[in-house]
Amino acid sequence: MSDSVFGVLGLFGSADELLAAIPKIKAKGFAKLEAYTPYPVHGIDEALDLPKSKLGVLVFLIGSLACISAFTFEWWTSTRGYPLRTGGKPFNGWQGWVLVMVEATILLSTFTAGIGMLFAFNKLPFFGNPMLESKAITSITRDRFALVLVPVGGTLDVEGAAGALRAAGAESIEVVRVPEETKPGLAWWARTGVAIAAACAVAGVGTAWVIRAFPTIKPMVNMQVQPKLNAQSADAFFANGRGMQLPPIGTVARGYMPVVDTTPDAAGTNLFNPLPVTAQVLTRGREMFNLHCAVCHDRLGTGKPWLDSTYHAMPVDLQSAPMRAAPDGFLYWVISQGIRTMPGYAADISQDDRWAVVRYIRALQRSQDATKGDLK
Amino acid sequence: MNRAPAALWALLAVGGAGVVSTYVLDGAQRFWANWLLWFVFMVCIALGALFIVALQHVTGATWSVPLRRAPERVAALTPWLVPVALIALFSLPVLFSWTQPGAASDPAIAMKTSWLNVPFFITRLVICVALWVVSYRILVLGSVRQDATRDPQATVRLRRFAPIFMIILALTLTAFAFDWVSSLEAGWYSDIFGVYLFAGAVTSGLAVTSLMVIYLYRRGRLPGITEDHLYNLGGLLFGFTIFWGYIAFSQYLLQWYADLPIEVFWFRERTTGTMESVFILLGVGRFFVPFLALITRRDKKNWKRLRWVSIWVIFMEAVDVFWLVSPIQGKGLHLGWPEAAFAVFFLSAGLLVVIRAMGMGEDTPVGDPFLPDGRNFHLR
Repeated sequence: MSDSVFGVLGLFGSADELLAAIPKIKAKGFAKLEAYTPYPVHGIDEALDLPKSKLGVLVFLIGSLACISAFTFEWWTSTRGYPLRTGGKPFNGWQGWVLVMVEATILLSTFTAGIGMLFAFNKLPFFGNPMLESKAITSITRDRFALVLVPVGGTLDVEGAAGALRAAGAESIEVVRVPEETKPGLAWWARTGVAIAAACAVAGVGTAWVIRAFPTIKPMVNMQVQPKLNAQSADAFFANGRGMQLPPIGTVARGYMPVVDTTPDAAGTNLFNPLPVTAQVLTRGREMFNLHCAVCHDRLGTGKPWLDSTYHAMPVDLQSAPMRAAPDGFLYWVISQGIRTMPGYAADISQDDRWAVVRYIRALQRSQDATKGDLK
Repeated sequence: MNRAPAALWALLAVGGAGVVSTYVLDGAQRFWANWLLWFVFMVCIALGALFIVALQHVTGATWSVPLRRAPERVAALTPWLVPVALIALFSLPVLFSWTQPGAASDPAIAMKTSWLNVPFFITRLVICVALWVVSYRILVLGSVRQDATRDPQATVRLRRFAPIFMIILALTLTAFAFDWVSSLEAGWYSDIFGVYLFAGAVTSGLAVTSLMVIYLYRRGRLPGITEDHLYNLGGLLFGFTIFWGYIAFSQYLLQWYADLPIEVFWFRERTTGTMESVFILLGVGRFFVPFLALITRRDKKNWKRLRWVSIWVIFMEAVDVFWLVSPIQGKGLHLGWPEAAFAVFFLSAGLLVVIRAMGMGEDTPVGDPFLPDGRNFHLR
């Protein structure tokens, strides 16, 4: 048992009595006081002359830093690292970054306040406080307010301190001693290590067992389980046991006649536009052209893309002489199969609509090269 | 005190001359735009103060009882809204495009004609102003009368009426914001706009309350008022500043992001060209300045700090309303001697009303049974 005194403790019945006692005790020459209360008492910082907590400053600094970091991150990704046009907004559209900045500020400020309070200011990984060994601690955590006179420069007049506390109205006095210092030895580390390893093993084995014993529980299966065949699933109806059957060889779906020619030039000689030139066909052609083609080829087919120059697209000018001379089958093949960087549109535009687009391209070409005879 | 009203009367005369000259020299549009601006400003200050009064009753606050007379006296501006509102009605054919013949052919306006038509518009204004004046008479004059009667039942009646006033305020202020500010550009709409004007009104109501409290506090006319009371006022001002920033930015961000032509033109007029500087001033001045100035506990308790922040917040309310109303006059910054004349006229008139209201009842509501509790209020 060490003889060193942590301090002399006096218990008070209320926060007001505690606050009233502080100046009386200070007047007797006891400079260093600590207060232990069950809840934060307003005005106690001033009464004890505690230095102002630096936590607020720290929270402000870290919060500001988080705000600036979020801004820098957003600015860099949006304007330097990966500029991407979204919804027609400018790259440096700061308005959209504000939410991230606010959230980052709040998150980091809260973390700083919580973790900083526990670890930096209250020295959390810390094995004990002499106050925890005192008899008064149970009542301090309930409804009593304690004032502890601690030594200044290693010395404390224990009798005088007790007298001062009693004179200031303390209900009871206790001398709190510093417990024998116990540094964790090898045995402690061994015990702790074994305990952590055991906890990991129990958790791992337990989880593995739970997963086996209780297979995934599906709370609602009405959408998942339906009386129909899913793709690639087995079914006993057909002899080969497959849910999906192959179509008979040579089957062609309506409106999906495959393009057999391997080059556009071959298609130009082999294929002919089956559609008549009617207002209905041209209207449909215009609709499809404006929907799928105009974004790169322009509404007039001039090949001036509407896309941003960052895409480096160089589409063909459909008004050019080679395109005017190209047969219908050539254009149809290109629309279906794609050419160079242009993808094929066979999956997006149906067979008849592709032919309608070809008719519409012809109409566009004629509109840009009209003769007097056309004005009838 | 005697010299101040004389100077204010002189300023009122000078301002009045400027106001009349605006109509003669600069035309009807500028005159009515300014009149409307100060009408909206005055509504925000008066109802902001009235809201602070009602808030204390609704929450059953005792800490604020000793200083409640301050917002009550500022709310004395409310009856003076009647002449200002009636005169403002003459701005209808000049400023409001939806009153023009043929406006209904615009599909964006045609949709709204069941709300935006002159008879219903005037009816709404009359109902709003009448409800405000009646609420003022119940809330403020009821409290002033209690000074003489010392009847504790008066407090009960005030606390019963205050929640009703909250509902009245929510409906009337929203209708007022839609009618007198949004409908200037009738094609635009923003559901949150009523709340936006409300947030501005509450911050400026708190600012005038704080100014009045500090004025009396420094002259020892509010016994029992301590730094702890100022701390609460500063805290409320701080909180509602954040509320304003949240509402203002939400409204802006959503419309900026959606980028719909029917909505976004309104912000385009107010954030580009010369109005951009006003927009930046508003964002920085109305949010960041009070936010940073009142962030610590010590700052909220400091009356000097609270005083300049309050004056600044009231100035920013004027900038806010200017930012809302002024762009209807077309491109450019419409700031010149007419604006100065209107400011002098309305501020001196408002100060004269408030100075006269300083004689209304005692400095604190002495008849309120919670007065001792409020005087003993401490932050522990």
